Amino acid sequence: MNSTNKETIKSKEEIVEIEIDIIENILSHVMDPEIEIDIVNLGLIYEVDYDGKNTVAIEMTLSTPACPLSDAIVASVKESIKRKYPDFKVDVKLVFEPRWHAGMITEAGKVMLGM
Amino acid sequence: MNGLQTANAPSSKIVVPHFVVGGIALLIVAILLAISTPELLTAYFDNKLIAITHIAILGWASMMVFGALYQLIPVVYETSLYSEKLASLTFWLFLISIGFLSYSFWIASYSNLLFYASLLMFFSLLLFIINLHLTYRKTKKPNIQSKFINTGIYWLAATELLGTLVAFNFKYNFLSDSHLHYLKIHAHLGLVGWFLLLIIGAASILIPMFMISHNLNAKKLDYSYYFINISLLLAMTNWFLFQSKYVSILAWIGIAIGVVFFLSFVYETYSTRLRRKLDVGLKYTVISISFLIIPILLALFLLISGNSTAFILRVTTIYGISMIFGVISMLIFGQTYKTLPFIIWLDRYQNYVGKYKTPLPRQLYSEKLADVQFYSYLFAISFIIIGVILKQAVILQIGTSVLIFVALLNLANILKMVWHKTKIEDLD
Repeated sequence: MNSTNKETIKSKEEIVEIEIDIIENILSHVMDPEIEIDIVNLGLIYEVDYDGKNTVAIEMTLSTPACPLSDAIVASVKESIKRKYPDFKVDVKLVFEPRWHAGMITEAGKVMLGM
Repeated sequence: MNGLQTANAPSSKIVVPHFVVGGIALLIVAILLAISTPELLTAYFDNKLIAITHIAILGWASMMVFGALYQLIPVVYETSLYSEKLASLTFWLFLISIGFLSYSFWIASYSNLLFYASLLMFFSLLLFIINLHLTYRKTKKPNIQSKFINTGIYWLAATELLGTLVAFNFKYNFLSDSHLHYLKIHAHLGLVGWFLLLIIGAASILIPMFMISHNLNAKKLDYSYYFINISLLLAMTNWFLFQSKYVSILAWIGIAIGVVFFLSFVYETYSTRLRRKLDVGLKYTVISISFLIIPILLALFLLISGNSTAFILRVTTIYGISMIFGVISMLIFGQTYKTLPFIIWLDRYQNYVGKYKTPLPRQLYSEKLADVQFYSYLFAISFIIIGVILKQAVILQIGTSVLIFVALLNLANILKMVWHKTKIEDLD
């Protein structure tokens, strides 16, 4: 009985991990409309959490705190996830510590930027 | 919350009309220049040239700058505009004043219409200055960029005050020196105090943002700010009280050092940029900033060359052209392509992002037209400058004709963006 419970908890963790992978994949299709590169390859996503029920928490940044498109990018993140999971609550927290820098761009992102 | 400045952005109904009127004003300037070739080659203190200069500076450059500033202020000041109603009232009063003032100059009604036109212009600019000053007072954390812009607005007030006094003087004749003397001061307060400070303030926040450059040495901007402002104060005091050539040269050195600090900041931004490929907006911007060196050098040449020969008068015309068309207009073209598509895009698509497939902001205008406009503009400016230097009317006319073509392309792209209808597609 004890061992079955352990197996159930383990499979739940696996489900959470799979869901987080799916959410990250969704985010890799959200574009920064000015730079025209997705926000995952730009390195703007700091953390993705899923509580295993119906809440997704995303901690992300912007290439500059003064970004005039911040509302549009945040709305795009929320709506993209809600399209796949209409009943989910999506919390997006914008943070500027640590400050975003070039080292956060993925190799694919660097190719897209022409670096 | 830091970073959510779009919540502070003004309605696009306030911002967009400035771009449309600015685009139309440039077309009017280009047509008037094309029919005023003889005046361009003979003198700069001519009623028609003064009328064209005021349409260019107020109707084209300032109108575009006002529109862009209303959008940029929330980003730089991190607060909303003090009053959108005041901005709307300013727009209409400013528009009427530009027409009235330019007409007064064009028909040379110095002692009659100009008095009323300048009074109306003074009042409309005062509304703009009050609105932006009260917005600045709401700023919690003033930065060097907001200081540049706010100080530029004070210099605009000084420019306008002197311009109005000169206009009044045509009617009541109370100033001690010649009109030409005061017009020189008026022009320099406007070009250096208002436009140069504004260019540095706006460019030093926009260029690093668009080029994606970080960890820049902002101290250079502090030095630039103090060198330019102290030197301009020195120059103004000298123009009014001493009129010493040596003090003027000293003030020139101070302004030049300030510009060099800014150029060094832009070079650092450019060389450390992550975004390697420059789009048309950034190409205009880079050339505009590099072009700053030309009016700076021409100012020195004019300062040390004493006699007002015909050649010196033409160099003075080129000095004005290089600043208005080489630096200011070039930057406005560039920033139009970097701001207007986003203003329209946010207005049309903000509620659809993530839910539907939307076009990208750059797809709201024709990139092909923008490219043709860019190269045609470089051609037009080169021909106009060469035409004035060599005193060749034909070369000048080719340049001004191409400028009409450029103004048409510019207006076509502005209207294409403004008239853009929302186009969304399902994501699947």
